[in-house]
Amino acid sequence: MKSRNVATYGMLIALAFILSYIERIITIPIPIPGIKVGLANLVVITALYLMGPKQAFVLSMIRILLVGFTFGNLSTMLFSFAGGILSWILMVLARKIQGLSMTGVSILGGVGHNVGQIAVAMFVVNSTTLIYYLPVLILAGLVAGTVIGILGALLVSSLKHMH
Amino acid sequence: MIKKKDLILAAVILIIALLAVIMITFTKVEGGEAVITVHGKIYKTLPLNEDDIVTVEDESGHYNVIEIKDGNVTMTEANCPDILCVKHRSIHYNHESIVCLPHKVVVEIQAGEENNIDAIAK
Amino acid sequence: MKKKIISILLGIFIIFNLSACSAQSEKRYEASFLELFDTVTTIVGYANSKEDFTSYSQMIYDNLEEYNQLFDIYNDYKGVNNIKTINDNAGIKPVKVDQKIIELLLYSKEMYELTDGKVNIAFGSVLSLWHDHRTKGLDDPSAATLPDMEELKKRSNHTDINQIIIDEDASTVYLKDPDMRLDVGAIAKGYAVEKVTQTMEEAGFVNVMISVGGNVRALGHKFDKKANEISWSVGIQNPDLESAETTIHILNLSDASLVTSGVYERYYTVDGKQYHHIIDPETLMPAEYYASVSIVCEDSGLADSLSTAVFNMPYEKGLELIEELDGVEAMWVYHDGTQRYSSGFRALINQ
Repeated sequence: MKSRNVATYGMLIALAFILSYIERIITIPIPIPGIKVGLANLVVITALYLMGPKQAFVLSMIRILLVGFTFGNLSTMLFSFAGGILSWILMVLARKIQGLSMTGVSILGGVGHNVGQIAVAMFVVNSTTLIYYLPVLILAGLVAGTVIGILGALLVSSLKHMH
Repeated sequence: MIKKKDLILAAVILIIALLAVIMITFTKVEGGEAVITVHGKIYKTLPLNEDDIVTVEDESGHYNVIEIKDGNVTMTEANCPDILCVKHRSIHYNHESIVCLPHKVVVEIQAGEENNIDAIAK
Repeated sequence: MKKKIISILLGIFIIFNLSACSAQSEKRYEASFLELFDTVTTIVGYANSKEDFTSYSQMIYDNLEEYNQLFDIYNDYKGVNNIKTINDNAGIKPVKVDQKIIELLLYSKEMYELTDGKVNIAFGSVLSLWHDHRTKGLDDPSAATLPDMEELKKRSNHTDINQIIIDEDASTVYLKDPDMRLDVGAIAKGYAVEKVTQTMEEAGFVNVMISVGGNVRALGHKFDKKANEISWSVGIQNPDLESAETTIHILNLSDASLVTSGVYERYYTVDGKQYHHIIDPETLMPAEYYASVSIVCEDSGLADSLSTAVFNMPYEKGLELIEELDGVEAMWVYHDGTQRYSSGFRALINQ
């Protein structure tokens, strides 16, 4: 089981890398650096359902660090961390709700990701004015989360067959 | 894959976000002044009805150039790594803002003081 | 369940649309220019775009310029018969002029009747003597002199407004008395501003305030931060120019004119005493009653005329005249700073 896990980890991180790269190419008209579509969340939620919350968290942090050092810088990592942590908390909690499928969990993950980033941005510039961006970002997170939720379900089921 | 609760969740979030967007759009009011803050501290306040160009610079050489023209505010130049602030469209409604995160520079439109006297009879 | 969600969404959407105040589509613009009526003109108004505002301003400028030329008593303009032309031909021949001048003169005759002769456009020969002494006195303050009273008295015999022969059909004006001169300074600015305001309104420029050298005409409203209509705020110059307070009151005006006549506007000094430009027809000297008089009423021409007339009247007579007139209010400021108002003036005061 362990070697399978390592292999799965490796594959998921590689996937995260690719997704992060794709994310950088897609630009959103919201001028806050560090705001991303949250594609990499796909990897985290897959890990969450495939392996468990702890592994998902570890994966998320590794992903942020590696991607941050490769593509971004220290300050963008800060936003990624904030988004990642809030997103993870919400997803773990959401998963416990009966009747909520992976899509619903992913939605909360996506929204949480963006809210976390805005919260940190507000803290960094020491200004509350950024809160006006929140509605748009929540909508973006909702959309991304839905898409990822569906993709994630597909990914999880195909990976489960491999186990 | 998609269950009923997901839809309810999505709908709730959608409604809340949409309501916020609608409210913000419909209460859009012309701003009166542009407030420039650096690291959270007010650096300068400029009235929107006077054309002006302001450069904000810090000791490390980071700079941002803010321009007010015809009541619109834009960040025309900056030496931050992503220049998202420069790419931002011009702002002029209350509460709109342009943020340069790397330099911690924020330009926010606020209501400004009511013009007390429009003219003086002499 | 789906139906419920959709209907709730729709309901909220509709409510918001109904309660939403339309975002203000007109923006506030300002423009000013010199050159006209020998003073600064400022326009503050609301238009849909800067281009619209600029074309309105241009229209105002063009209109004011035409009136400026027609009503000028000091300059000739090529191809234009203006008031100066009429003066130059006093006792000689009738001068054919634009209908606008005819209308101004007829209006001025009405104002003469209304104010018992306290504002008189035929007062030019007296005023010109004062003007000459004042100009010389400003050029060389050490050699400033007062006009000779005998000369002033002589000239005052040539100020009969009924000696102005106006032929409306032929559009001509003839000054029968060769020593008579027209001076429309007390009425022309306000009159022109009122005419231009009417043109502006017809052109669709309905929320604007124009000030021509302190002669203020407010049309429509301005808007506050929430896009509500509110009155224009107009201050009244403090006659005490040395004071730290530039204005003595701020009035709320909407569709109204505010004109002030004051001792501080045009004056020169002789032997340490100041002599201003509003000459009392009774004394032939600058009127001594007040430091300033402010008139508020809709028509700018009326406001301008009354401000000069009332400035030349004792308080009781002035008050009587103002109270008689509908829609006219006034404030008198005495040399010691005391203020007196007509019955409805206080209601206009904001601060």
